[in-house]
Amino acid sequence: MKRPPVLLHVKIRNKRRGFGLWLPIFLLLPLALAVFIVVAPLILIAIPIFWPSGRRKRALHIFGAVFEVICSLRGIKVNMQSDHDYMYISAI
Amino acid sequence: MDENKKKILDMLADGKISTDEAYRLLSALETGRSTSEGTAKSETTAKTKSKYLRVCIFSGSEHEDSHEGDRVNVRVPMTLIRAGLKFTSLLPPEARVKVNGALHEKGIDFDMRNLKPEDMDELVEALSDLEVDMVNNEGETVKVYVE
Repeated sequence: MKRPPVLLHVKIRNKRRGFGLWLPIFLLLPLALAVFIVVAPLILIAIPIFWPSGRRKRALHIFGAVFEVICSLRGIKVNMQSDHDYMYISAI
Repeated sequence: MDENKKKILDMLADGKISTDEAYRLLSALETGRSTSEGTAKSETTAKTKSKYLRVCIFSGSEHEDSHEGDRVNVRVPMTLIRAGLKFTSLLPPEARVKVNGALHEKGIDFDMRNLKPEDMDELVEALSDLEVDMVNNEGETVKVYVE
């Protein structure tokens, strides 16, 4: 089953300072749901306006494709390091 | 009928080999076929189980875990590549024409309209065999592979 990443780990360090961050993405999902509920009336108004133009299919596919991309981010790791700089990003 | 099996049965009919020997030869044929099919299946399974595309670039020391020199280590899930390729099917026709025009200008004779979802799956599967390993005179190493 596809599910989006739940945690994002970010570490950035340079010569002078550095920080590490664990972002709980799963806490953003209720926020995204709340935003969606707020925007839902606007979507319901926009649907009959854009329905005759034939773009509804592409719009629906875009939502699905974006969700699939977000879910596929699980497992991505980026690690870059030079002499003084270090960056690490990981989505779990 | 399989050519090899026919030869064995012909030799049995001519009396050149006994029944036991014919049975052993036929069994060995079957074992050899199932082994090669199993090898092909396991290779296919290994390919389809490829999960990540790894890109490693390091300079200074050849060892990936060394802390000397610049290092880039990227691990991209193959599902992300598949999902990203699916976006090409969402391009509006006007954008595809522009992309094709830009590709032709650069001398690339490729039509975006010919790219189908099944081609993308085949492309991603083919990536499983991709392996790049380059080292230059200055000790900089670039490795691209699938695991």
